[in-house]
Amino acid sequence: MTRSTAIATRELSKTYKDVRALDNVTLDLEPNRIYGLLGRNGAGKTTLMSILTGQNYPDQGTAHIFGRAPFENDLTLSRICFIRESQKYPEDFKVHQAFKAAAMFFENWDEQLALDLVEAFALPAKRRIKKLSRGQLSAVGVIIGMASRAEITFFDEPYLGLDAVARQIFYDRLVEDFAEYPRTIVLSSHLIDEVANLLEHVIVIDKGRIVVDSDAEELRGAAVTVTGDAKKVQEFIGAADVLHRDSLGALASVTIKAKLSGDQREQAKLMGLDLSPVSLQQLVVRSALSTNEGTDKRTEARA
Amino acid sequence: MNRIMKVARMQLINKATFIGIPLMILVSAFLFTMTIWWLVRRSGGEGVLYGGGAQAPMWYFLALGIQALTMTFPFSMAMSISRRTFYLGTLALFSVCALVLSVFYYLMGLVETATGGWGLDGRFFALQWIADNSGFIQIMFYFVLMVLLFMIGFFVATIYMRWRQTGMVVFFTVLGLLVLGIIALFTFTSFWGQFWSWALTWTAGSVTLWGGLVAVLVAAGSYFTLRKATA
Repeated sequence: MTRSTAIATRELSKTYKDVRALDNVTLDLEPNRIYGLLGRNGAGKTTLMSILTGQNYPDQGTAHIFGRAPFENDLTLSRICFIRESQKYPEDFKVHQAFKAAAMFFENWDEQLALDLVEAFALPAKRRIKKLSRGQLSAVGVIIGMASRAEITFFDEPYLGLDAVARQIFYDRLVEDFAEYPRTIVLSSHLIDEVANLLEHVIVIDKGRIVVDSDAEELRGAAVTVTGDAKKVQEFIGAADVLHRDSLGALASVTIKAKLSGDQREQAKLMGLDLSPVSLQQLVVRSALSTNEGTDKRTEARA
Repeated sequence: MNRIMKVARMQLINKATFIGIPLMILVSAFLFTMTIWWLVRRSGGEGVLYGGGAQAPMWYFLALGIQALTMTFPFSMAMSISRRTFYLGTLALFSVCALVLSVFYYLMGLVETATGGWGLDGRFFALQWIADNSGFIQIMFYFVLMVLLFMIGFFVATIYMRWRQTGMVVFFTVLGLLVLGIIALFTFTSFWGQFWSWALTWTAGSVTLWGGLVAVLVAAGSYFTLRKATA
């Protein structure tokens, strides 16, 4: 398998009336990995995926799928599956009819997998789609996405309305199926902690701009919260990049973007400071909230 | 090509939409008309009876044109189908349906004539103005009318898909102004008399020809509008 990029965008921009949905988005996604596309509602996730799947088009910039522009290109499109969160289905379609259509268009469609998932999600296959609950509707999209086995599969907020059990089924089956049939998966989500363990690479988008584009492993230790006497905390963090600051009287709790060395941890202990890890979700939230400062510099904590 | 056929098959997954409902409309319109004619004859009504019910399914095609697009286009996007392929597959399917139905109308017209208007001297399929023409023109007349209505519905729906409410408001405002303008022009220039006497010279053949031309223009307009529509 070549290591050519599965998805490549260059300075992609899209404006809806006065909203800048995408702002100079440049990304490279490698094949056969699981990507998380994270961000708040309205951050531009769906717009980006729509453009990548030819369902929409950019005002500026380019998007390439396996080296080709997807817009109106059946050959390239047939390698992609994207069921949007608010996907519309033909008026009188029943659940199994949507699968029948999907089986026609996705060459790698696995009927058995679809049937298994219908059972796992307890989805009423004979019911009209417009009569489904929000969770069942999400399940239809998830099943099409999984069973299509498309080379690039986008899941757009796939868990909406799904209960905890169904969500776990989705995560488990996805990992299982991915191990057997590697493909490029882009999981868009605003519930970050829940999908954090699945992700190999994290892209965070905020107000149309990419604020994080980094391996998940790298992000996991990328920030730390230091808690203790305010003066000592300040002394410890020095000029580190502060993501968030809480204080209560003489106590302070400061989240900094930094990887601490063993020595630094030892030092913190000696100074009577508490160190606590920052979850991916907190990191994303804090990064998004502090983007206004427009910094992406990495400053090591000085002790 | 293969994917174009698949789009047609996808549109047919719900067979009621393209085949069942038009047939149902036609059958019920026919039965209603028959019942009325029978009642008229029973109560001693005389002369040839005309029924306009055969056009009933055609108006459904206007709605079908809208439905085929608004309901199925966003789904076809999710099936990774290009707009071009969706357009060609949908139009191909509808053309075949319209052709089959047109031939059916023609054949029913023959049966109607042969049975003396269903034994009631009624005209449901073989309206004289149409039935006086050759079989080819009759079939083409029905076909063009059906395709034209479908395309009008389809075109309006593509405008909606591309520009949403704004598109609808602009389209219908312009259309309204245009119609109003023509009516005003005809009225101020006392052109109505001339217009109606001209309209009476229309033949099924000329209507077919001009209707076909308009259908092609609307089809082209739909295509270029759809090319940049979004789900």
